[in-house]
Amino acid sequence: MGVRRRAGGFTLAVNPILCDGFGHCAELAPDLVHLDEWGYPIVERTPVALSNLSALESARFAVRGCPRQALRIERVAEEERRA
Amino acid sequence: MIALTSPYLWYTTRATGLMALVLFTGVVSLGALVALRVGGSSVGRFEISELHRSLSIVAMVFLGIHILTTVLDSFVSTGLLAAVIPLTSSYRRVPVALGAVALDLMLAVWLSSLVKTHVANATWRLIHWFSWLAWATALVHAVTTGTDARGGVGLVLVGLCGAIGAGAGLWRALGRPTRAAGRTALSPLAPAPPANRRHAGPAREMPARPRVETPTRAERSGPPPTEAPAAIPRRAQDETRRRRR
Repeated sequence: MGVRRRAGGFTLAVNPILCDGFGHCAELAPDLVHLDEWGYPIVERTPVALSNLSALESARFAVRGCPRQALRIERVAEEERRA
Repeated sequence: MIALTSPYLWYTTRATGLMALVLFTGVVSLGALVALRVGGSSVGRFEISELHRSLSIVAMVFLGIHILTTVLDSFVSTGLLAAVIPLTSSYRRVPVALGAVALDLMLAVWLSSLVKTHVANATWRLIHWFSWLAWATALVHAVTTGTDARGGVGLVLVGLCGAIGAGAGLWRALGRPTRAAGRTALSPLAPAPPANRRHAGPAREMPARPRVETPTRAERSGPPPTEAPAAIPRRAQDETRRRRR
């Protein structure tokens, strides 16, 4: 079961209406989130494998650390995943 | 029952009350720092935010002990009801009522934060503003009824708490939040971030947003654009970043 759960990938999704540019996500998940000139996040749109546990953990930290709950993890099926 | 008549409960009440005030001063000050987006270079913003969250839990524990020992102690006849409902205490009616008001406000702030994901952000923010009122009420409660706030170290501590909290409140009211500005493919003149950055780089003042030319009524009535204009820079941005890697 554990093997099956790790199949596929994930991306971080930002709700731009809730986001207030606190910038915590870029600190907690520097590999997945970059900040634009105004401090708002630009998330990596290439899905990351769910088996990449350190990336998944940092993504979870970013979701939990967002002061506006503007982030969520979206799962992507195996077929859609590139790279 | 012997323990309930011993002076130690009363000492615990005094000590935890004073410490709760110190902790709540720290919590509201850290909250102001979070809202002002302080941090980014030497200390992470998320670290200040996490400290604000965890310190608030510690402060609530101290407040809980403070109230519990006051209720249990038989030196003053303050019941559990008087700790929650204002003006129901026979002992020092108004000062204890101030403490009850502060407790109720803090409970509202705490509970709204516990269910934050289920509450609209505007509602949560409105409730969170009451933490300033709760802190100020607690300060007055400490000054009016605190046994240790009459002089000596206790008075100095309460005065320091008042000064720090008031300073944080003033900064929060008058200050302007700094932005954690990053660098994009569209801003080649922005300073490059360090190669292995743990934090988002030093916070900068928010640069002026470039003026977006809004089309006049005559221009807008022309043929609609074939592609949404907002999509173009975003895609170009991603392409540039991918190529750079």
